[in-house]
Amino acid sequence: MEELIEKLKGELIAELNLEEIKPADIDAEAPLFGDGGLGLDSIDALEIILILERNYGIKIDNPAQGKEIFYSVKTLAEYITAHQK
Amino acid sequence: MNIYITADSIVTPLGFNSQENIAALCSYHSAIMEHKTSTVADAPITASIFVDHKIRLQSKTMDIESQYTKFERLVIMAITDVLDQTHIDIADNTVGIVIATAKGNIDLLDYTAESMDGRISIWKSVDRIARYFKAANRPLIVSNACISGLSALIVGKRLIEAGVYSNVIVAGCDVLSHFVTSGFKSFKSLSSKRCVPFDASRDGLNLGEAAGAVILSTDNTDNSILLAGGAISNDANHISGPSRTGYELNLAIRGAMDEACVKKSDISFVDMHGTATAYNDEMESKAVTLAELHDKPVQSLKPYFGHTLGASGLIEAIVCMHELRIGTLFGTMGFQKLGVPMPIKVSPTHKTMKMRSCVKTASGFGGCNAAVVLSLPEYAKKSRPEPQNVTLRSICTVSVVDAHVKRGNKTIFSSKDTEFNVFIREAFKKLGDENMKFYKMDNLCKLGYITAGYLLRDFKYEPEEMGIILSNAAGSLDTDIEHQRNIGENGDAMASPAVFVYTLPNVVIGEICIRYQIKGENTFFISEGHDSEKVSKYVQMAVSESNLHYCIVGWCELLGTRYRSSFSLLENMNYVK
Repeated sequence: MEELIEKLKGELIAELNLEEIKPADIDAEAPLFGDGGLGLDSIDALEIILILERNYGIKIDNPAQGKEIFYSVKTLAEYITAHQK
Repeated sequence: MNIYITADSIVTPLGFNSQENIAALCSYHSAIMEHKTSTVADAPITASIFVDHKIRLQSKTMDIESQYTKFERLVIMAITDVLDQTHIDIADNTVGIVIATAKGNIDLLDYTAESMDGRISIWKSVDRIARYFKAANRPLIVSNACISGLSALIVGKRLIEAGVYSNVIVAGCDVLSHFVTSGFKSFKSLSSKRCVPFDASRDGLNLGEAAGAVILSTDNTDNSILLAGGAISNDANHISGPSRTGYELNLAIRGAMDEACVKKSDISFVDMHGTATAYNDEMESKAVTLAELHDKPVQSLKPYFGHTLGASGLIEAIVCMHELRIGTLFGTMGFQKLGVPMPIKVSPTHKTMKMRSCVKTASGFGGCNAAVVLSLPEYAKKSRPEPQNVTLRSICTVSVVDAHVKRGNKTIFSSKDTEFNVFIREAFKKLGDENMKFYKMDNLCKLGYITAGYLLRDFKYEPEEMGIILSNAAGSLDTDIEHQRNIGENGDAMASPAVFVYTLPNVVIGEICIRYQIKGENTFFISEGHDSEKVSKYVQMAVSESNLHYCIVGWCELLGTRYRSSFSLLENMNYVK
């Protein structure tokens, strides 16, 4: 799980153009969206759906479903672990 | 001065002129259907798409040669139709042309080709159309995302008011391709069923293809409809998500109604953008309530035509004209149960009613909103004020070129590294801006954002009294290529929403409006060169009619390693709060 969390942080930084942010700056349990945290928005949520599909073969068709899954890097890692084939 | 719409044409899969389209709507025909296979998407798509051989046949009937692209042919068909309805001569110097399109010939974009097909360039393609008609004047091109069609109507109207032309032909068109469908799919915006605007069951939009054209004139002929008012606003909230409150669309509606001098009691119905995405329709229900029009019948025409992008505002406004004339309000087909937060009046079936005036709205990426008021000529308000010229004074000009930021002639920042990405990042840091969203922007937006940043540093104003009008030649081609490469190499499903959102040039305006809280008039023009006298005349009239205190006017061009921007901050010397 730790390894996956670190990998995810790297992917989020690269794919969401989070320049000036290092993996160590991201608290795995802090909220990704909204004020505070990384301040991600709806376009970032769609990009995360794409990362899941491209890098992990996991499909999320309904963006509303993403709310809990995308809460933090940790919840994201848990979802991937549970759904990856 | 009254400006009338004296001829109109709608070209969609439902028909090649307005009569055929209106007849189709009268009998609840929709152009939207499921296409299991198509040339515009990898997967099945529910959309309104032309049958190729019908366009070929129609082209043959009209003698339009095969050298013209699908986009060009559709525009030519619509313009030919409106010219046939009047005595206006397009070769006459007093006749202007305004073209609205979000993406032009984007279906020809081949990222692997060694040299670009020239027709990808919107102004070159539009020049081809102008040459087809031997037009006296070079067309102005408006590329304002999904409000382009309404923007172009407003541009045409203001050019007549400013005395630039006596008559203006306004045309709008967009066609579908993998480029467009993959992008909307990446936004999870597409419905697999026919869309149901404002309904509780709505789950997205359908894309569509269309062209439309009208002739604007000061002459009131039989059957004319008055274009009584028009206004544009910006959400200054998000580049793709609509406003949470609907306040800014409400501003555009009120602006258009004020200009038309109409009251709530004059409005017979409101035709909204009504795309049937969750957030768009939600926002519109709030806007129409804020504008105090919630007890008026509200409709969306998307279940008939789909969302026809840059053409949508124009073809839907034309349908509104016919509704006013025939005294029938078309139903929002398929509507069953209201699913928006505010109680608006939507009906699935057509209704006969007494008509006076209507409001037509549109909203689009980049946070832009537009509204126009159309009236039956007998209800034209005598009290409408004559358009006033205003005096504009340039407060300052900031330009960015060759790794230098200049205020006037004085360099205020320069970088030793001339590579754009390095230079622009240094310019951003020097500005002391901490907005992390900067790094997510495409290069065109970064260029515009930095230029505006230096221009507006320490400048104070109210959001609604500032406007922004920009132009360039290449549109968003720099990012268009990136999006096309994404889907060309990996298939439609790998389209990146964070790239696609920047494939509209007016999104640079959207980014500037968000950061600097600008909510007034915002329009993006595409033209070959920088100094357009016609754009300057438009700016004058836009500032006057929108009662702006200030307006940013500029050029913002970036393609590959070439870039150049120059923005001026103008003050309206006649401004009265």
